[in-house]
Amino acid sequence: MHTEHTIETSAERQNRHKAMEAISVINALREDFKSPIHSMGYFYDLFEKVYCHHQPLHEGKAKIGTMCIQIPSEIIYALDGVPIRLCNGFYTDDEIGGDLLPQKSCPLVKATVGWFASDNFSDKPDITFSPTTCDQKTKAGAIIESFGHTVIDVGFPRTKESEESRHYWRESVKSFAVKLSKFQGKKLTRSNLESAIKKVGYAQSLYHKLTEFRKNKAVPILGVDMFLVTNAFFFDKIDEWISAVEKLVVELEQRASEGVNVAGKASPRIVYTGSPPIFPNYKIPLIIEQSDAIIVADETCSSNRMFNDMVAVDEWNLYDMIDSVSDKYLKACTCPIFTQNDDRIRRIIQLVRSYNGDGVIYQAFAGCQVYEMEQRSVLAAMEKEGIPILYIESDYSPSQHGQLTTRVEAFIESLKNRKRMKK
Amino acid sequence: MTKNKFSLRRAVNNMNLVRFRFWFQIVAFALVVYGGYIGLDLGDKLPTFACVFNGEGTGGKCYVGELQHDLKHPLEGFMGFAGYAFLISLGMFAVWFWALNKGWCGFVCPLGTMQDWLTMLREKTKIRYSEYSWANRGKIKSIKYILLILLLLLPVMIANSVFGLPKLPNGLSMPFCDICPGRMMIPAFTGHFNQFYIDFSSKTDLVMTTLGMIITGLFLVGSFIKKRFFCYFCPMAALQYVFSKPALLKLYKDGSKCTKCGDCYRACDMDILEIADDVTSKNLVTEDCTLCLKCVAACPEEGCLEANFMGATIFESTKEGFILRMAMDQNKENHAH
Repeated sequence: MHTEHTIETSAERQNRHKAMEAISVINALREDFKSPIHSMGYFYDLFEKVYCHHQPLHEGKAKIGTMCIQIPSEIIYALDGVPIRLCNGFYTDDEIGGDLLPQKSCPLVKATVGWFASDNFSDKPDITFSPTTCDQKTKAGAIIESFGHTVIDVGFPRTKESEESRHYWRESVKSFAVKLSKFQGKKLTRSNLESAIKKVGYAQSLYHKLTEFRKNKAVPILGVDMFLVTNAFFFDKIDEWISAVEKLVVELEQRASEGVNVAGKASPRIVYTGSPPIFPNYKIPLIIEQSDAIIVADETCSSNRMFNDMVAVDEWNLYDMIDSVSDKYLKACTCPIFTQNDDRIRRIIQLVRSYNGDGVIYQAFAGCQVYEMEQRSVLAAMEKEGIPILYIESDYSPSQHGQLTTRVEAFIESLKNRKRMKK
Repeated sequence: MTKNKFSLRRAVNNMNLVRFRFWFQIVAFALVVYGGYIGLDLGDKLPTFACVFNGEGTGGKCYVGELQHDLKHPLEGFMGFAGYAFLISLGMFAVWFWALNKGWCGFVCPLGTMQDWLTMLREKTKIRYSEYSWANRGKIKSIKYILLILLLLLPVMIANSVFGLPKLPNGLSMPFCDICPGRMMIPAFTGHFNQFYIDFSSKTDLVMTTLGMIITGLFLVGSFIKKRFFCYFCPMAALQYVFSKPALLKLYKDGSKCTKCGDCYRACDMDILEIADDVTSKNLVTEDCTLCLKCVAACPEEGCLEANFMGATIFESTKEGFILRMAMDQNKENHAH
């Protein structure tokens, strides 16, 4: 047995801290809730493997880093790459990034930059494509590049109503495809793009099946579990993700027919919106569901927004497919970076209606300016519709837990009261 | 999701619209172009290009031909019998039109069907379609109205002196038919190629028949590279649009369910932007719409777009239908990964 005393390197320390963050969330998901889902085990294990044991998943494959959801994974899969979304939820990385970025920047951006700064990946991206979405992500791309990574900007427009924007973005996507194709030494063809579109479309169709169950009166799956499933799509092998979700769908069908409810009878149904919950930063979603509410739908780029809209193609030829893919990633996007954003408000209202939500919880990261700036207009719109809404500002730090819990619990209590009054 | 698995509604919403429409158009084409041989006669007020020049083959006749003919009367005539005849004809046209609305274009019009066939041919050759540039589209839109005004005005000017202008020669009695590609194309399907000619008998005829030949050539080439190339210029579409609001078949949109993903716009042969971007209007039958319903088939949002007949939904967008139509329902082994 090896008993020699060794001093932990900084990378090892980071990984140990990250593993602690990860395992506490995984354990909470595994153990803190009633009626656990058997087939969620795949996802718990996956996250443990990657974030606690630092095991690579894609050895021998080209790993294509992406900084937001607008980089079409269809094109990456078609060109035989693995898309790795680098949006990060670790407080450990957030702290590292905090030394490199202004204190008031968004924790997600700080964590992503911190991740690159520590150069400590289980699957290190070979090249990274950064859509110029919000200011902070745009600047982060340049900072990451200064660490010696290859980062390529993909010009993203900030107005989506105009035809100029549509045209601009289509050209951006084409140029992205050309650059990636050169990098990969592989040609984008009609057939490989068609099968990639259909494959991603199939993955999306499975996600849609999962969401359908959340419309039921007895909700068979937790919101935090759903976030975990969608977050797994950031980095998992797509085929394994697909078969895991297929199993999950079967189990949920079973649970739905038995009327299994992961929440209580009177648990308020929450529509979650705002800055994306990214593993392991499930702080607010966990507080919500531990406080006897259930997240039935969300409007975030780490889950519903990422999966909702599917690519439709009229003629399966290469350029038509590229245009279709481009349009989907621009026109359907409800990111608050856009100048006009009535679409996001309409979407939230629609989610509340179709998932029978009792209230909305709007969470913005302190420093995530666009979500912070938009909260007033969303609050006003919800008030007009008579939908209760709670606005919370949070970050990745483990502090403020008590204060946040109090506010969320109070909101949930008020929703319960409202429900009782209605009866 | 676990609703009735075998309902008719579900079967309809899941249908393969492309195939349905293909066969519907073939049947409609046969009735309109060859109906005459089995004694079918739907009259001469059809709101679609059932060509008058098709001789014994035609199962009905285009109202634009009749309309030009009706207008070729001196003004006094209009105050009497000719005026009544005109109004009755127009009424008949409106009644026909109200039954199907613009669906006449997307499902019945033989000229539209021919364009769709040319599109299919192009698809087979894997040549990409072209689009009108956005700068030009606005201008193109007005051409059909200009054509409509001309086809109304020119026949009137044959028998009347309008604004003191000299009367026009009789050769202009059917100005639109002279230049309509249907005059040549539709009889050709019954083996009559006699409309392919240039008439040297008078200057007017020479100009009009030459224009007709050129436009037919443009029609064939244009609709090969641009989906529904000719429909942008169709004065029948302009005339129809005047009567479109009370029609029974409707294309409705529930804007609250729309995510503006643009899938419908991608599917639209007529590049109608409103279908994706307009989230406030309910009735989405715009002037260029052919009610082909491709947008409904391409919409992945539950109940966002629907074809509605007299208040009853007959075909609506569903996630399930979308996934089936896009063949995304199975994870095929032959996929790239």
